[in-house]
Amino acid sequence: MTGRASANGPGREGTAPTGPGARPEPPPPAGPHRRTIRIVNPLGLHMRIADRFQRAAKRYTCVVTVWNGDARADGKNVMDLLMLVALPGAEVVLEVDGPDAPDAVDPLTEILSSPGGEDYTI
Amino acid sequence: MEIRHGTAVSPGIAIGPAVVLDTEGVHIPHRTAPPEQLDHEVARLNRALDEVAAAVRADRDRMTARLGREFGNIFSAQESAIIALRHQLENRIRSDRYSAEYAVSRVIRDFVKRLEDVAALQQGEAAVEVRRRATEFIGIERQVLAALLGHPTDPFANLPEPVVVLANDLMPSDTADFSPRTVRAFATESGGPTSHTAILAGALDIPAVVGVGRFLTDVSGGDTVIVDGTEGVVIIDPDDATLVRYEAKRAELLARPDRYEALRDKPSVTDDGVPIRLLGNIELAQEAAHCLDRGAEGVGLYRTEFLYLNKASHPTEEEHYAAYCAVLNTLGPNRPLVIRTLDLGADKFASASGAAVNEKNPFLGLRSVRLCLDRTELFRTQLRAILRAAVHGDLRIMFPMISTVTELRHCNAILRAVMEDLEDAGIPFKRDVPVGTMIEVPSAALIADVLAREVDFFSLGTNDLVQYTLAADRNNEHVANLYNPVDPAVLRLIRAVVRAAKGANIEVNVCGEMSGEPLYVPLLVGLGVRQLSATPRKIPEIKRVIRDLKVAEAERVAEHALSLETGRQVTNYLRDYLRKLLPSEAVD
Repeated sequence: MTGRASANGPGREGTAPTGPGARPEPPPPAGPHRRTIRIVNPLGLHMRIADRFQRAAKRYTCVVTVWNGDARADGKNVMDLLMLVALPGAEVVLEVDGPDAPDAVDPLTEILSSPGGEDYTI
Repeated sequence: MEIRHGTAVSPGIAIGPAVVLDTEGVHIPHRTAPPEQLDHEVARLNRALDEVAAAVRADRDRMTARLGREFGNIFSAQESAIIALRHQLENRIRSDRYSAEYAVSRVIRDFVKRLEDVAALQQGEAAVEVRRRATEFIGIERQVLAALLGHPTDPFANLPEPVVVLANDLMPSDTADFSPRTVRAFATESGGPTSHTAILAGALDIPAVVGVGRFLTDVSGGDTVIVDGTEGVVIIDPDDATLVRYEAKRAELLARPDRYEALRDKPSVTDDGVPIRLLGNIELAQEAAHCLDRGAEGVGLYRTEFLYLNKASHPTEEEHYAAYCAVLNTLGPNRPLVIRTLDLGADKFASASGAAVNEKNPFLGLRSVRLCLDRTELFRTQLRAILRAAVHGDLRIMFPMISTVTELRHCNAILRAVMEDLEDAGIPFKRDVPVGTMIEVPSAALIADVLAREVDFFSLGTNDLVQYTLAADRNNEHVANLYNPVDPAVLRLIRAVVRAAKGANIEVNVCGEMSGEPLYVPLLVGLGVRQLSATPRKIPEIKRVIRDLKVAEAERVAEHALSLETGRQVTNYLRDYLRKLLPSEAVD
């Protein structure tokens, strides 16, 4: 599933080396992966989604950053994420940088782009 | 609409949303901690966070079982927030030397502030959602503070507008943080006109009604409530006609003090050019500003009892010091601040070191300076703080309830010993702080000439002087008719005290309620008093009388009053005189 754009994300930016889903193997990482993601959860990036996201982000060693306009959040810190105040309709940019970034980018995109997802398991 | 009646204790009308208090507020005791205590603060913080996290986990499990993971995860998220805060809170304690409580409050309030700033830019649903998040943070703050302090938190934090506080009863510590900015009025189910809450409401200029009886069950937070502190009426959820009527009444009342506005910056000088110094009586440090607002030249009586009341332990030297410095800060270096040392009865004094003394006759018992001389460690703590704070302004010490010269000498000896301690420890303090004594016991008034040799000033505490002279408690309806500040016996004592002060060339101040009554001003000036200390709100009225008064005439008034035989005759005579002096004023 590497390289598949999020259902809600408008696409990739930067130097993300992932191509169309047909490619059999991910290429070696080179620089951060970025995705632009529209928040569709009716409550925005709220506390539970932020919590779920940071719990997922902490499974990876890569640096996870989320931008909402000029505001920047450490993706592994729930308070940081909340202070982005990303409301429904906001377009945030996810940036993952590190050796396991290619593995992290899709699951993390999934969380931010989901319309629900409050009943996650911790 | 519900209309209830109670005892009016502080005049004025207020209309606003209700806050119903069912819990006691929490205060952050210290903002900062000394460097050697920071490890301890961090440890306290971590214990509190662990405790809250554990409670949140338990809630999560319960909610998940009842309503499913979707709802249980609300608590998972809270737990994550608490974990995320830990690092930042530790940093603030270490880098800014914050106490654990203050770090929690500061950090979370910063988050809340940022959310509110965002909410202000949003509209409709979005603004509501952002504000809701802010309240979630406030919820977390309350839980952590409760864990740190062991009781519930300040219900007045983050109110969007000033409120009307409704409670069964209020502790002094609840009311200590009230200000006209946060609280428009209050009404309580219990309490009487002499409760500290009532006194404080008057002092803070907040309309209040007490002793309303059970009514809290009829009110919800946010309901519109009218408090008429002049008539003693509380109206819950008023109809439109009532609301309009009270709004008009309120506007009319608010316009009234403007009559005195013009007087504020005019000097307090009699018509024939004799200056009468006007000072304010305060109970709380923040009231010093009220004194200046009303044109007082300083603080003539700072009652320090509030530092002691409703506390688990006695105030520390630093707490005293901080309070005194706060007042001096407001007054500046040249306006006087007279601090009265602890004046509590043993009955009110829940001691940290033991149970309160049970006395059959507390007003003739171990109270005030007698208590200080009995528990000298308390007295020394306060005196040390006063002497240290005196470096920053014109501070003066006053001992209350002195009844013999031996007591006064005893107090002075302790004061000197405290000075020596400070000197030995190399702690800066002011040595030549003026020292005075209250004259509020008839024995002190009768030996005023002896006492005058030991002090720099007198202050007549008329409330106690009248009650001890006539042996009548004015709160006891059966004997209240005996209580009269201008009873001939009291007048003779006041005259003796003023003469003794004049003979020793020391100042004499009057600081009881008597000095706040325009009726008594001509008499007091005529008796030779040149300094009055009153509730700040009364100062403009007093000044109005002073500026129309001629000293020579006031002296004749005093002379005639002293020739009368009963208190009632004196009162009637003074009333007639004031009507002549100020024909445009309503005198009652």
